[in-house]
Amino acid sequence: MSGARDLVIIGAGPAGLAAGAEARAHGLDPLILDEQPEPGGQIYRSVARVAQQRPADLAFLGADYAHGAELVAAATEVERRQGATVWQIGSAGRDGVREVVWSAAGTAHRVRAGAVLIASGAMERPVPIRGWTLPGVTTVGALQVALKQAAIYPAGRVVLAGQGPLLLLLVAQLAAARIPVAAVLDTQPPGRASAAAWHLPMAMVGAADTLLKGLALLRRRSTSGVPVWRHVTGLRVAGEGRVQMVRFRDNSGREVALNADLLALHEGVVPNPQLTRLVGAEHRWHPAQRCFHPVLDEWGESTAKSVFVAGDGGGILGARAAVAGGRLAALRVAERQGRLVESARDLRAQPFLARRWGERALRRFLDALYPAPDWIAAPEDEAIICRCEEITAADIRRIAGHAAGPNQAKAYLRCGMGPCQGRMCGLTVTEMIARARGVSPAVTGYLTIRPPIKPVTVDELASLAEEMTA
Amino acid sequence: MSTAACDVLVIGGGLVGAAVAWGVARAGATVCVLDEGDDAIRASRGNFGLVWVQGKGDGMPDYAAWTRDSAGRWLELAAIIGEQDGIDVALRQPGGLEPCISEAEWVERELQVRRMHNQPGVGGNDVRMISAAEARELEPALGPEVVGASYCPHDGHVNPLFLLRGLHAGLARHGVDHRLDHWVESVRPDGDGFAVRTAHGTLRAGRVVLAAGLGNVRLGPLVGLDVPTEAERGHILVTERLDPVLSHPMGRLRQTEEGTVMIGASADRVGLDTSLDLATAAALAARARRVVPALGRARLVRSWAALRIMSPDGFPIYAESENHPGAFVVTCHSGVTLAAVHALYLAPSMLQPGFNDRYAAFHPRRFGGAEAA
Repeated sequence: MSGARDLVIIGAGPAGLAAGAEARAHGLDPLILDEQPEPGGQIYRSVARVAQQRPADLAFLGADYAHGAELVAAATEVERRQGATVWQIGSAGRDGVREVVWSAAGTAHRVRAGAVLIASGAMERPVPIRGWTLPGVTTVGALQVALKQAAIYPAGRVVLAGQGPLLLLLVAQLAAARIPVAAVLDTQPPGRASAAAWHLPMAMVGAADTLLKGLALLRRRSTSGVPVWRHVTGLRVAGEGRVQMVRFRDNSGREVALNADLLALHEGVVPNPQLTRLVGAEHRWHPAQRCFHPVLDEWGESTAKSVFVAGDGGGILGARAAVAGGRLAALRVAERQGRLVESARDLRAQPFLARRWGERALRRFLDALYPAPDWIAAPEDEAIICRCEEITAADIRRIAGHAAGPNQAKAYLRCGMGPCQGRMCGLTVTEMIARARGVSPAVTGYLTIRPPIKPVTVDELASLAEEMTA
Repeated sequence: MSTAACDVLVIGGGLVGAAVAWGVARAGATVCVLDEGDDAIRASRGNFGLVWVQGKGDGMPDYAAWTRDSAGRWLELAAIIGEQDGIDVALRQPGGLEPCISEAEWVERELQVRRMHNQPGVGGNDVRMISAAEARELEPALGPEVVGASYCPHDGHVNPLFLLRGLHAGLARHGVDHRLDHWVESVRPDGDGFAVRTAHGTLRAGRVVLAAGLGNVRLGPLVGLDVPTEAERGHILVTERLDPVLSHPMGRLRQTEEGTVMIGASADRVGLDTSLDLATAAALAARARRVVPALGRARLVRSWAALRIMSPDGFPIYAESENHPGAFVVTCHSGVTLAAVHALYLAPSMLQPGFNDRYAAFHPRRFGGAEAA
């Protein structure tokens, strides 16, 4: 195998693309590995192709989405592999070099990296309600990706349930595309506006333009004519073979049942923990966002040697902060490699640090405005928590009191042992055990994540044996 | 904080500690088990899950017989856990094989089988070499490279995680005080018993059993016991659930009750490091598909490395302290295979006199004084 790349970037969303462009500008030779067929990440999914082939769709997807095309264009010089799934990051050698192992089209590859930037973004928080595994139940994010990537438009009685900016954006996008929505079930708890007001002044200073856009989205929702149910609780899904009905309690506690053909859930996003856990980086429980964040310095360097994190994988701050974070990490790596001096690095970093500060102020406001509802950690007994192994909340409750943490639960119940390696159940199980034991999730800890973080065949792994002994 | 008292205090809640606690609690003693947190080094969570007889005890006939005893008593243990705690540990003992994929492997294996037959008492293990044709009759999925196998009718496998859960369910049923996050700071003789200090207070017990895996190295000398063990890393790969491909467990390959296929097992010594070595994992995958070519297309969903607890000769260490009677050490790398005898024989005998006579062959004095620092 040849020498090490200066920087291997995992993910071609806003953080990864910006980091790649910045690193190249300072003479590094970054390599971007991205799992999707096209760059852009989740937020700018397929943006270059949509701009080229379906310009009319850009109109309803919005100006912010269209902006992603510039980001992709700015990184065209950076070597990039699409359809490349990273499944292992090896331990750091004494020189700090790590081996990144990835597969594309059924073949495994290895590349050595002087520094690794994890820019694998966020994932939607799992919403483990009764019936959420029925066909026809999806997430707001998945629905939006289907719109962007495959031009698949939802049909039938579409119900959106949850809260947060992404849900508001989708309502506006569907309205602009004239796709009817049967109902929006808003799960935001009552009294949040006043709780969030405390953070509003700083958010105004930090990101006033985003706040204005948010207000416009709220207005769009009320003028769209879509029926909105506020402060919804007790959400569950019923149906024979697929979703047919959504049941919930309205703001007066009354039971309501709505017919539905498609239900999209959304309770915000959380960092995708697989890669940062894989490298053994230290994580901290974030009570407001109710998830773990990797511990990072201001450049995005984790406690794992030579591993940086940028974008929402390091804590949810959104696309603009992701761009800033990607650039900051690239600056730090460039300075380490002697490509620019500290003073030049710091000067160049100024606007990115300021941008991230502003987005943090905004995020404190949003965290207070849209807190993950408490019921997310107290699912109904019948709700399936681990989808891969079909483990219910009742199963977990039976062992929760005498399990030290989610790894013990995994050993006892197989929850988290399936192909998704706990992405869909890890947070829920952790919070359930923490509650049963009366401790913080910081004490129970999180699932140990092992390679391969995405499945690979025996043949793929075995092919490396020939290569490594040759 | 609290000071609790019990008859027997077991340090370690893994397969060895849980089996011992299960056995002494069943014999009527009041028991406390001190366990660590979720991120502790736990051999019991990394187990392959064989109840394995063949090849065990080469050089120590007592261990070969002990292993054979345990395999014979396993049905009884599984039945108790199943009936009393409603947990099916998925015990299957259809006989097991260890395929050879070269003439050299065959010659070496045959030599070992013959050597062990010549040791007194080991013949009862009924291990024999079988031809490639016989092996394929037992296991049609074996590939063309397989030249033969060793076979033992007493070999089997079990879900080791459900075993651990079953033992802990039994502990709860017997009212055993199981304490999580109780890392043990010290053990000291105290009157006619022992005082065990943790961050959450000191506990007193008449007897104390060190079943802390690699932690015994530190704890043993505090009660006059020398426990010369080292960590040996082993890698395991596991596939997604597959349709039935294998009907017999093999030494390095088995299909679980759920349908996943486990691929083991390597051995290297790198200290307390449970990270994955890619070349080792790749070599395991390469061998697995030579033995069973159909596995090549199977998707691997996870791999892990865990640490075996190895004594200098690889055999278990059982002893009661001469200087501080009532302090015991129990350690081995076969916590699954030996769970039956640990729970049904070894544990109750700790409540009787003459422990060291009964298990003389397993006493660490066999390593000589040099190690007994």
